[in-house]
Amino acid sequence: MAEPAHRIEDEPLAGKAAKPTPVILLVDDDEMTRISMAGRLKRLGYRVIEAGDGVAGLAAVRAQRPDLVILDWMMPGLDGPSVCEAIRADGELRSSQVVLMTAHDQPGQIAEGLSRGADDFLSKAASKQEVLARVQASLRSSALVREIERTRDDLDRSHRLLSAKQAELESELQSAAEFVRAQLPLPGMPAPGIGMQWAYQPSLALGGDLFQVGAWGSETLGLYILDASGHGVAAALRAVALMSFLREENLAKAVGSFDPGAIITEANRRFPLTQDGEYFTLWVGRLHLPSQTVSYAAAGHCGAFLHSLQGASQWLSSASLPLGFDPTITFDSATAQLRPRDRLYLLSDGIYEAPSPTGELWGRERLQATLESHRNHTLAHSIGDTMTTARQWLGGDIFPDDVALLGVEVLDSSGPAKEKS
Amino acid sequence: MQITERRIGQSIILDLTGELSYANRTTFKAAVERSKHSGCRHLILNMQGVRFLDSSALGTLALLAQSFPATQGMVSLLNPQSYVKEIITLANLHQILPVYTSEQDALAGSRLPAAG
Repeated sequence: MAEPAHRIEDEPLAGKAAKPTPVILLVDDDEMTRISMAGRLKRLGYRVIEAGDGVAGLAAVRAQRPDLVILDWMMPGLDGPSVCEAIRADGELRSSQVVLMTAHDQPGQIAEGLSRGADDFLSKAASKQEVLARVQASLRSSALVREIERTRDDLDRSHRLLSAKQAELESELQSAAEFVRAQLPLPGMPAPGIGMQWAYQPSLALGGDLFQVGAWGSETLGLYILDASGHGVAAALRAVALMSFLREENLAKAVGSFDPGAIITEANRRFPLTQDGEYFTLWVGRLHLPSQTVSYAAAGHCGAFLHSLQGASQWLSSASLPLGFDPTITFDSATAQLRPRDRLYLLSDGIYEAPSPTGELWGRERLQATLESHRNHTLAHSIGDTMTTARQWLGGDIFPDDVALLGVEVLDSSGPAKEKS
Repeated sequence: MQITERRIGQSIILDLTGELSYANRTTFKAAVERSKHSGCRHLILNMQGVRFLDSSALGTLALLAQSFPATQGMVSLLNPQSYVKEIITLANLHQILPVYTSEQDALAGSRLPAAG
């Protein structure tokens, strides 16, 4: 049936040339009906694609992705509801907007059509106004669905991009972490008659706590542990910078001595507080191998614990300002005597500040008691078990701060301490 | 962390409660800046209610000690408790920031450090 001549007033897209013309796929085996409906839709301003049966219709849905599909119910072969089901079963097509067209819109038929995947119904006898209203409503739904799909696709793309960036950053962090770890000493015997073991667990991939044991001259062993405030990349980079300062050849040049007090005094001058208030704490020791005397100095660092089997165990630290808090001060060295089988532990505050699930800190007393309980075990066992005990106190594996525990022991003539049987 | 400001004469007392740490250092710094700009001559940080102080906060306090006198007057700590007191002692912070045990002494601006 021809439409009245006043189609311009009802033209839904008049004056909206900027928007793309919606595409409607019309599937009907009855040519006359199809031509008539296609004409009505075209006069309403839509672009119409036609298909003469269900199979061709389904192919057109796949090929053209129309904004709306209008399907005749009764068709030979693949009927309208079957096309609906096929569309809903296809992941690519299932969000298509589908209207079933029937000659008789009985309630039972409508229920079946909806249950088989139709979004709406259109009577072949519908008035021009009803056709317009239903098509517009369906196209609104279609536009919303398309927008959601576009947003989802954008999100997917962003997520893939972010994931790739994240992987790249993690890979770089991993490389940096490996570099930092490579700065740490190899467990074993850093000097004849001296054994050394350590455990290190940064709170993030990169830690701000670093330590080193190595020769400072022919008869002395230098030991230090430093703690850069903060965590992560910035703290690690600053820590490596201080580590470079503490290299044997640099100390000889920059400080002119391996005296711990002189080293820390110079470091205090060279490493001021940053603008963000970041700084280092540092403990430096120098072990004179022939006399087994250790001289040491600290800048705000909790220091080292000397576990003596024959003499008195003691903490080798005293109250002192961290590096950079007052660039004008000097730091003095103190000394302690080591004896065979004595152990000197260098540790970061992260280990004894491990909080229990109730918030109680592990504390230096418990740490000391744990270390002392291992007097008859090997150094490696002592360090491993102390870390385990700290984790048990923490109630987990991830410490809130970097944790480092380094042990150095004076071996007696019979070799390393034997494990208690 | 909760921060309450009290102005007494030319002094400002910031009553701090909770944890003074990296997580809330922006809040803390903002409160200190407000006090600085209000023209106070003596900023007293009341640590009585602070139960935890991390290394970042220690650096912030040191920075404050370095920067405050240059612009205004003095900054001091009041009544740190248990763990916080231990940290301040270990880091020798009282060497650069006066520590008082009573508000009256702090307000009097005595430079004598608190006992213990």
